[in-house]
Amino acid sequence: MKKILPPEELARDARFVRLSMEDRFNDRRGAGGTSGRTGPMKLTPDAPQAPDRARALMHGIFVGEIQALEGAGRTCWDFEVGPGADEVPFALKLDMARQCWDEARHCEISIKLSDWMGTELGEFAESTFLYEAACNPDPILRLTGVNRALEGLAIDVFNTMREFGQSAGDPVLEFCEDWMLADEVTHVKMGSDWLRRITENDPDRRERALEFQRIVDKLFSLGGFRGEGDDSPIRLARRFREMAGFTTEEVDEISDLSKQAGEEARARLAANA
Amino acid sequence: MADPKKPRPAFAPWDRRELPGAFDVEETARRVGHYKWVEMRLFEALGGWVATVPELDVKLRLGTHCYKHAWHAELWNKRLPELREMNTERLTVPPNDEFVAFMDAITEPEGPGQTLEKLVGVYRVLIPHKIAAYTYHLNNTSTITDAPTMRSLRFALGDEFDDWRDGEMLIQSLIVNEEDVQRAATHQARCEGLIVKAGGIAGPGSIGSVDVPTPQEVTA
Repeated sequence: MKKILPPEELARDARFVRLSMEDRFNDRRGAGGTSGRTGPMKLTPDAPQAPDRARALMHGIFVGEIQALEGAGRTCWDFEVGPGADEVPFALKLDMARQCWDEARHCEISIKLSDWMGTELGEFAESTFLYEAACNPDPILRLTGVNRALEGLAIDVFNTMREFGQSAGDPVLEFCEDWMLADEVTHVKMGSDWLRRITENDPDRRERALEFQRIVDKLFSLGGFRGEGDDSPIRLARRFREMAGFTTEEVDEISDLSKQAGEEARARLAANA
Repeated sequence: MADPKKPRPAFAPWDRRELPGAFDVEETARRVGHYKWVEMRLFEALGGWVATVPELDVKLRLGTHCYKHAWHAELWNKRLPELREMNTERLTVPPNDEFVAFMDAITEPEGPGQTLEKLVGVYRVLIPHKIAAYTYHLNNTSTITDAPTMRSLRFALGDEFDDWRDGEMLIQSLIVNEEDVQRAATHQARCEGLIVKAGGIAGPGSIGSVDVPTPQEVTA
C-alpha cells in the first residue's frame, strides 16, 4: 500500500456524488454567497428552510466525519515512528488510532441522525476539502491543519448544532452533538499538544504549521459563514476552543480571519453581480 | 462472620495458581516485543485501508478495529520496560524475515476492489494466528510471576475474538458467488503459506511444539 493517498482516490460507494471546491464556492446558493437564500443566515428552528438547511448541515457533518476518519487512518499509515521530520512519535500514532475510533462513531451518530431527519446518504454532494488538508506530507503541518483548524471548525459546528437542538426541542440531537463536541475538544487538544511538543525547539517549523493552519482556517471560514456575530450561521465556540489549547489571541485571530473571509466573499459577489 | 484473627491459607482452596511457567523474563520480553511489532503493523494497515474501502460498513469497522490494535501495541509497549527492556524499540521487531514477507502480503491489497483480500488476510489468517499465539502464552506462562502479561493477553484476546467475528461476518457478506469463494481461498492460502514459513506471529514455537521426543532423544 502506497504512502499518501490522493483525494481523488478516496473510495466511496455509488450513492456519493463529489463536488469540487471551485464549484462549491462558486455556487451562489451556498455558504459563499447569500443571494439564493432568504431570511437571516443564522440557523434557528423558525428560519426559512430550517429543516432543509439542518439536513444539509448534518449531511456535511457526516461526510466530514468520513474524511476525518480517513485522514486519521492515513496518518497511522503514512508515517514511520522516529525522530525525523517525516516521522512521528509512537504516542502520536496511538492518538491518531484513537481518533479513528472516535470518527467512526461520529459517522455512525451522524448516519443515525440523518436518517431521523429524513435524509438519505448521498443526498447532498461531498467535497473532499477536509481530506485534502490531511494529505500534507509534513506530519506536524497535517496535524495542525486537521486537528486544530478543521477539528476546531467541528467544535464550532457541533456547538452550533447542539444549540440548534436545544432551541428546536430535539433532545436526541442535543445529546449527540454534546458527545461529539467532547470528542472534538479532545482531538483539537491532541493537535495543540503535539504541535507544541514536537516544535518545542524548532520555531520555524512551528510557524510553518501555524501558517498552514491560518490558510485552512481562512479557507474554512466559509466566506464568513463562521463568526462571532449573533447572525453567524456557525458561532465561534471560544470556551471549548480554549479548553482544547487555543489561547485567547489565537481565537481572536480566527475571528478576524472569519470577518476578512466574509468581506472578501461579499466583495466577490458584488463584483460578479 | 468468621473470626478475623483465625489464620487462613494465603492461597484460598479455589485458587490453583502455580509458580512454574514456560517462559523466563527474557523469553517473555522477546515475545512481547514481537506482539507489539505485529499490533503496530496491523493498526497502521487498518488505518491506511479505511480510505481505500468503498463499503461504508467495512470502512467504519476498520476505523474501530484500528484503535483496538493500537491499544494492544500500547499495552505491550508498557510491558517491555517491566520485563527489563528499557529500550523498547530494541525488541519491537518481527520474529524473522519470513514474517515480514507475510505482513507485506497482508498489507499489499490496496485498490477499492480488493476489500475481500484485505479482510481475508487479516480476519481469516492473521487474527486467528494471533489468537492462537496469545492463548498459548496465556496458558503456559507462570500464573503468579507473569500475571501482568496475562491480564494484557486477556484484554487483547477479548478484542481479537470480537473483531474476528466482525471480520468473518463482513467477509461472508461480501462473498456472493463461486468466483468470490475462489478469490478468498486463494488469498487465504497464500497468506497461510507465508505465516507457516514464519512459524507464527512470534516465530517458531508461537504455539509451542507438538513434536514428541524420539526414544533416542529421551535417552541422550
